[in-house]
Amino acid sequence: MATTQHVIIGNGIAGISAAEVLRAGDPDSAITIIGDESETPYCRPMISLVLEGALGPERLPIRGTDYYQQFGITPVLGRRVTAVDTSRREVHINGARPVIYDKLLIASGADPRPVKAEGRDLDNIFYLRHQAHVRGMLAVMPDARKALVLGGGLVGFKAAYGLLRRGIQVTMLIRSGYPLSMQADAEAGRMVLTELRAHGLEVRVGAEVTAFEGGPAVRAAVLSDGSRLACDLVVIGKGVLPSLAFVRRDQIAVDLGIVVDRHMRTTAPDVYAAGDVAEGMDLARGTRWVNAIWPEAVAQGRLAGTNMAGREVAGEGSLGRNVIRIFGLDIMTGGIVDPPADDDGFTVVSALDPRRRTYRKLVFQKNRLVGMVMVNAIEQGGVLLGLIQSRMPVRLPAETLLANGFNYKQLLME
Amino acid sequence: MKQVVVHPERCVGCLQCMLACATAHSRSRTLPEAVLESPRPRPRVHVGVGCFDEGFPNRCRHCDPAPCMLACLPGAIYRDAQTNTVLIDTDRCINCASCAMVCPFGVLRYHPDVLAPPDKTVAVKCDNCIARQQKGQIPACVEACRTGALTFEPLDGAMRRKTDAVSRTVSAGRREVPPPAGYALLTTIKHEQVRLRSH
Amino acid sequence: MKKEYIQETIAQDSRLLLRKMEGDAVTTVWERHRDQQPHCGFCEMGLSCRNCVMGPCRIDPFGDGPQQGVCGADANIIVARNLGRMIAAGAASHSDHGRDLVEVLAKVAEGDGSGYQIRDGAKLRRLAAEFGVDVEGREEKQIAADLAYGMQEEYGMRRKSLTLLARAPEKRRRLWDKLNITPRGIDRETSEMMHRTHMGVDNDWQSLLLHGLRNALSDGWGGSMIATEVSDILFGTPSPRPTLSNVGVLKKEQVNIIVHGHNPVVSEMVLLACQSPEMIERAKARGAQGINLAGVCCTGNELLMRHGVAMAGNHLCTELVLGTGAVEMMIVDYQCIMPSIAQVATCYHTRMVSTSDKARFPGMTHREFHPHNAAGLARELVQEAVDNFANRKAVYIPVEPVPAVGGFSVEAIVGALGGTPEPLLDAIKAGKIRGAAGIVGCNNPKITQDHGHVTLTRRLIENDILVVDTGCAAVATAKAGFKVAEAIQYAGPGLKEVCGALQIPPVLHMGSCVDNVRILVLAAALANALQVDISDLPIAGAAPEWYSEKAAAIGAYFVASGVYTVLGPMPPITGSMDVVHLLTQGLEGVVGATFAVEPDPEKAAVLIRERIEAKRKALGL
Repeated sequence: MATTQHVIIGNGIAGISAAEVLRAGDPDSAITIIGDESETPYCRPMISLVLEGALGPERLPIRGTDYYQQFGITPVLGRRVTAVDTSRREVHINGARPVIYDKLLIASGADPRPVKAEGRDLDNIFYLRHQAHVRGMLAVMPDARKALVLGGGLVGFKAAYGLLRRGIQVTMLIRSGYPLSMQADAEAGRMVLTELRAHGLEVRVGAEVTAFEGGPAVRAAVLSDGSRLACDLVVIGKGVLPSLAFVRRDQIAVDLGIVVDRHMRTTAPDVYAAGDVAEGMDLARGTRWVNAIWPEAVAQGRLAGTNMAGREVAGEGSLGRNVIRIFGLDIMTGGIVDPPADDDGFTVVSALDPRRRTYRKLVFQKNRLVGMVMVNAIEQGGVLLGLIQSRMPVRLPAETLLANGFNYKQLLME
Repeated sequence: MKQVVVHPERCVGCLQCMLACATAHSRSRTLPEAVLESPRPRPRVHVGVGCFDEGFPNRCRHCDPAPCMLACLPGAIYRDAQTNTVLIDTDRCINCASCAMVCPFGVLRYHPDVLAPPDKTVAVKCDNCIARQQKGQIPACVEACRTGALTFEPLDGAMRRKTDAVSRTVSAGRREVPPPAGYALLTTIKHEQVRLRSH
Repeated sequence: MKKEYIQETIAQDSRLLLRKMEGDAVTTVWERHRDQQPHCGFCEMGLSCRNCVMGPCRIDPFGDGPQQGVCGADANIIVARNLGRMIAAGAASHSDHGRDLVEVLAKVAEGDGSGYQIRDGAKLRRLAAEFGVDVEGREEKQIAADLAYGMQEEYGMRRKSLTLLARAPEKRRRLWDKLNITPRGIDRETSEMMHRTHMGVDNDWQSLLLHGLRNALSDGWGGSMIATEVSDILFGTPSPRPTLSNVGVLKKEQVNIIVHGHNPVVSEMVLLACQSPEMIERAKARGAQGINLAGVCCTGNELLMRHGVAMAGNHLCTELVLGTGAVEMMIVDYQCIMPSIAQVATCYHTRMVSTSDKARFPGMTHREFHPHNAAGLARELVQEAVDNFANRKAVYIPVEPVPAVGGFSVEAIVGALGGTPEPLLDAIKAGKIRGAAGIVGCNNPKITQDHGHVTLTRRLIENDILVVDTGCAAVATAKAGFKVAEAIQYAGPGLKEVCGALQIPPVLHMGSCVDNVRILVLAAALANALQVDISDLPIAGAAPEWYSEKAAAIGAYFVASGVYTVLGPMPPITGSMDVVHLLTQGLEGVVGATFAVEPDPEKAAVLIRERIEAKRKALGL
């Protein structure tokens, strides 16, 4: 029998987690990883720590330089996949021969959501997604005085936080009333905003950029309200979109991301997807959802690799979660944090404790916990998130879960 | 392999394990001196309170696979195969709290520690007292426990004892071993008080 | 309203203030109680011993770990020693309070008493006669000097038995003699308890517990009784008068001063100063409409009993009242004053003043009261409180006060009955009143505040059991509206008829916690009138929310005097089932009464009713 050809698109954490499980489970197979970034595997969420100066770039790699060799993987790096043809089991790469697969994992991750604005190509306008982006920013940072960050989501927020910590004056443009509106509820968002403002962040709500001016580097941004904002560094942090331009919709079902089942299988035979590009069952919502976060990428990559190696294992689904530390605030959130106000299927309880400077909010659907927000005292957050993931009915009073002393033992007494 | 086994029904909530743990992870390893140290030594085992105000020594289970290990961004969490212990490399730790986000037991804490680089806040959790074990000592929490709520033994032995105890209660001519009367009385009263408070 | 507040207290004022103070980021006793969970099981069971430094030791309740301390003491000995020391501390507290009053009496006799005086000369003479002091044709000061001297001897080792034991029925006194638990000297028994519980002294747990009863009797028939009687002599014997209770007694337009603690020696002087026209003028000059003195805890009860001074709350309200932002000054003496309280005050404008040389608190200004400077110092403090009115910020007084009647000393009760206890005995014999219960003791965050007191009281009066109460229990039922004549609507038909005819409430406020001895005196008087022992009477005691060592001493002197007593919270004795059995069963055959422990007041009411009915049956009623 010929050696099984495993091909993995993407050398992010989902791809390499899959490769490692695959190698352990199917030692004799051939594994090829195609990645558009040419560095050794590194920790993407940590690039903002390099931006803020908390870490040097040498701390980013999470595997050794001989990683591919060690695991017997053929790397095809610095190349972007242009097409996948499942009928011929081919992966097309720019300027190279197609790669043939027996089993394919699409773990291509996500790309920054672009902005449409005149002057977008001026210098000193960056995304914050790749190590290279941060290198670019660090290079121009010595001359930067006034930065503009577009977007108040996780990326925009991390960019703004990093630049603030570098002592640069930062203005953040956000559409909703507070940052992190996808991760946090209004109360936590307000606390984040207050904390950031206390450290010098300027926030403009409701405004968008229509054009950038300058040359060759950006000098100003023109806003939708007609005003002009001087800036010499711009970060576009308006979130990410699954990276799937190469996927033929007639061959593989795509919604926002690539649709996967509990085994991380796509609708095409022998094609799997994992990580930021995949859209599987969301444990809190009970519908498919793209949860583009690191721990899910690890879990999904491992699950895909296990199944590709021939061991049929089903996952329960994914859960969107985040933990963020900013200055004096720690925030942990997960699941549905802001259920629709007009849907009475949800029960929301919350507690603001001015004595401890803590805030907790829990969202229940019937007797299941489906969402949570914690500000400060986040140590027990994993217990609550575990409760969401397990989908177990909660019989404890909601107040018990909200209380400062809540801990794992109380779940045992149910 | 011996490991720390928790018997929650025997925990009386005296917090001795926490004191012993903090002391074992101090510079001086003696309580009177440890309380004066900076950074202040802190426990890795946490006696949480249950629904009836009873104690519960909550410590790292050293899960396999360990969610914290998989979620750790800088790859600072690893497993010591010899003692089956999940450990944290405090040099690599970036204090991002991803481990707390995925730990279903809530055992992670974040603070400066005598075993970490100076003035650095790091993730801290149970290390099975590896340093003590290397000197032939048992984990400090077990040594401190006077009620048998924490034991250091091979897991299968503990499981067998528990299985035997359960089977005794269901077998014919059963010899149920009741909890000591005084402890049962106190527990009854405490349950009653909690019930009355939540009337 | 958050469920948390509802679980913590049944009192609406407390709930509203808790909510308000959480917003003010103030930590209260409930928060600290939660932070203490879990409590140490060794300590809860009485199985830890810190009496010497061969230890500290603890006994494993599961039997696998150590079963003896370093010295060899087993669970029985350790539990009995710990309980003994608890009683000793309680007895010491009451008795030392009594000592302070005897000192004032002595100063008054010497003519060095500044603002203090003899207010009840008749009582002075009655008491002097009991102490064998010659009263014929002598001046009050001479009598007071001899009485004070006689009382000082009670504290020492000159007596073979305490003088006021003579008030107890003869059967009871003979029983105490037989058991060798007749208390000899007030301080002696406490001192001996500390001696016996030293390593290597009394290691017979039953003998230790018996001495615990003797130690408690030295409080009930000694230190506490002297405290109450001398307070009556110096400040007047209480008689019924209307008053108000709950935090609504604070007044937005007036300077509010709160007295907190136990000893009337300080609060009486503060009251006098508050009434002085000069101070009231000063208050008006500063934009206030007057000066409002209110009490919390038992020094408040002392003023309430004698002057109808309003009561802002009981033990667990002491932090909350400050949250109103309406208190210009809180003046404290001693006992039950949480050291946290000055920290609470820092969030508001309240000035905190400590007054006793033996009770100092972090964050309080210490202004020491002595008989010679009391009147002047009280005026100074009131003046400073008035001047602090200008610093007031937002005020939150969320409720209206509830009316109550206080002041039911034994003399007042007998007075209401027409000068003799006969009508009460007749009502009991006729079955209109089934019996009587003394509900006493504290608040404890383990129990929803006031729930134990109020529920038990309601159940007893609706079953025709007359309730007399003191201390924080008395404040709880006052807040709940049980202390007005109209409260007979809550009483059973018989009790309703009797109280209605006498125009008294079905729940009688008998004073502060040292005033529990008034209950002893009443019980002794009833027993003597019937020519039976106290343990034969259809009566019971209860401490549904007790927390303090003083309450342990009170419970022990109730039981040792023959009164069946139901405790709410469990004392730290479950480490020894021998001790538990002795206290809850064995004592019946020894002193004719036992303890019971029942946190649920509904069930406690059933226990008390059963006891009372059994006693009625035994008396042939």
